[in-house]
Amino acid sequence: MILRQTFASITFRFMFYYVACLSIAVFFLLGLLFASFSYKYFRDADQLVDLELTRLAGIYQSEGRDALMAQAEPRDADRRGFYFRLSDPRQRKLAGTLPEKPVSGYSTWLEWEHAVIFQRWDDSGEQLILQERALGDGNTLTVARNYRDMILIERVIGSVLVRSMIVTIVLGAIGGAVVAARSVRHVDVVNRAVTRLMGGDFSERLPGLNAQGDFRELVENFNRMLDRIQTLMEGMRQVSDNIAHDLRTPLTRLRNHLANLQSSVDEASQDTVQALLDEADSLLATFNALLRIAQVESGERLSGFTEVDLQVILLDVIELYEPLAADKDIAITTDLLGSMPMSGDRDLLFQAFANVLDNAIKYTPDGGSIRIRACAEDNGWRVDVADSGAGIPVVDRAKVFRRFYRVEASRGLQPGNGLGLSLVHAVVNLHHGSIALGDNQPGLEFSVRLPKTAAA
Amino acid sequence: MHILLIEDDPSVADYISKGLRENAYSVEHVTHGNDGLNTALASVFDALIVDRMLPGLDGLSIIQRLRESGNKTPALILSALGAVDDRVSGLRAGGDDYLVKPFAFAELLARLEAILRRQQVNMHQTRLKVADLEMDLLSHKVTRAGQPFNLQPREYKLLEFLMKHAGQVVTRTMLLENVWDYHFDPQTNVIDVHISRLRQKIDRGFDKVLLSTVRGAGYLLQDPDTL
Repeated sequence: MILRQTFASITFRFMFYYVACLSIAVFFLLGLLFASFSYKYFRDADQLVDLELTRLAGIYQSEGRDALMAQAEPRDADRRGFYFRLSDPRQRKLAGTLPEKPVSGYSTWLEWEHAVIFQRWDDSGEQLILQERALGDGNTLTVARNYRDMILIERVIGSVLVRSMIVTIVLGAIGGAVVAARSVRHVDVVNRAVTRLMGGDFSERLPGLNAQGDFRELVENFNRMLDRIQTLMEGMRQVSDNIAHDLRTPLTRLRNHLANLQSSVDEASQDTVQALLDEADSLLATFNALLRIAQVESGERLSGFTEVDLQVILLDVIELYEPLAADKDIAITTDLLGSMPMSGDRDLLFQAFANVLDNAIKYTPDGGSIRIRACAEDNGWRVDVADSGAGIPVVDRAKVFRRFYRVEASRGLQPGNGLGLSLVHAVVNLHHGSIALGDNQPGLEFSVRLPKTAAA
Repeated sequence: MHILLIEDDPSVADYISKGLRENAYSVEHVTHGNDGLNTALASVFDALIVDRMLPGLDGLSIIQRLRESGNKTPALILSALGAVDDRVSGLRAGGDDYLVKPFAFAELLARLEAILRRQQVNMHQTRLKVADLEMDLLSHKVTRAGQPFNLQPREYKLLEFLMKHAGQVVTRTMLLENVWDYHFDPQTNVIDVHISRLRQKIDRGFDKVLLSTVRGAGYLLQDPDTL
């Protein structure tokens, strides 16, 4: 997981490009170093050849050809590797250790001050640097030097440079991966905290951990934003609580006055008063439902979580609603498990499944059927309540959880305040579960997923 | 019946006092928590109605002190907002029932009568009887005029609760809390369906209707002849 995130992270991609650019830069730098080394070495070698040529020309001119020939077998180590040849104006060899061969190829490299001549000399494949000088008597003196030691040194330098480049790339890549992993861990911590926050526990703040610089600033800003959101939310909740509370009390008083009135009015007005009472009761029920949703959404009820058996709750809900279904001649079939332990709020879970089953019964025509099935899922439970009613059009599916939202076709046909599914949604969210609406063909399949432990 | 009302909100207090007096209760009203405890200790009451939030000593502490001193007067706690913990802590402190404001007076009256009755019902009673309807709590047998009939376990619990509170109105929420043991708001009146099922079993074929619905309040199981 962390590894996949590491490769996908922006930081890693940044590090990848960084290493690539670094490698190119190092390549050019090392190339330049190599060229400088070579240049210096070639020039030194060229100068040595030049010095030898001057020395031999001096010997020839002052002491003659025989003295020159005495130099053919150099005794001192410095001159090992040098060869010379004395040629007549027609390029025929008169004396020397260098065989007579036409110079097969010239190559100039980086505009040498003195042309450096490479010559493939013999079958051994030895390469030589040559310099020629015309002597006063029309003869030409050629001095050559072995070139192999330079190539060896250049190879050593080249391989050192290539290794340095490999090491640079490898170290850069490892460093990049480490830095990326660190920042991914930061991001991971932030992500998990944000997930928990969205679950309702808005008191939580992002850990600053040992982050420094920009990341610390980001975390601090994020926390300040959360402070602000919390303040706003508390304000909102306070307002809605106040409204509900302030209206609920006079409404209750009104209802009580009506109840008093009922006992004192004449027979004819009894029904009118009763209708008013029913109206007041339904208003109060709406307020209570709103306050309950607000309370559930606030996450306040998390403190009331205990170990409950969802199976028992489901059976109790089914038992409570079974007569209602029987009145409409609806058959309820169940396919449950043995026991479904989970952490949750017993009353709220009961309320949620009661609302779901209540809706299923309400929207299933007489003689229909409702199937309730439970199954185990990854670290949790899934409960499907499928009815044979009209179902919910796909376009309305996302909206049914909104407060006061009612599917157009059901308005006026069925009693209800449009808060039942909002409450279900709030309860399932509180338990970190999820809801999916599917097609039962015909009818609605209402699937609720609940994790065994809400702390996920 | 003599009731002590400890409540600091004058409108709520007036409304409760007035309603209780109309129902033939005598009410003593105090507003301060400390006065409440002193009054409760000084004289004998049949029941207490105590608000949770009070100036001075709060409602739960009053009940706790009373229970510590051996006073077992039934107490009904009133609270502004009913979170689950509130209800639990209220009952743990020694309260007999818990009612969330705002409430319908009928609900308060039904609950008050229930806790008063609880005192009178003999804990070791093994038979309940309303007119010719009898319930044996040991063998779980129910008969009407000597004729036995079968009840589902939940129907039995429902009837047992109604018989224990015979002659008084029980509300829907009281039934949900005591028979089903869940605190929740049903969207539709499922309890009505259960009651009518039960009525089918116990009243069908008999002249005397024992189980009736009190509109806007709840249900009543009683022998019509005793009125």
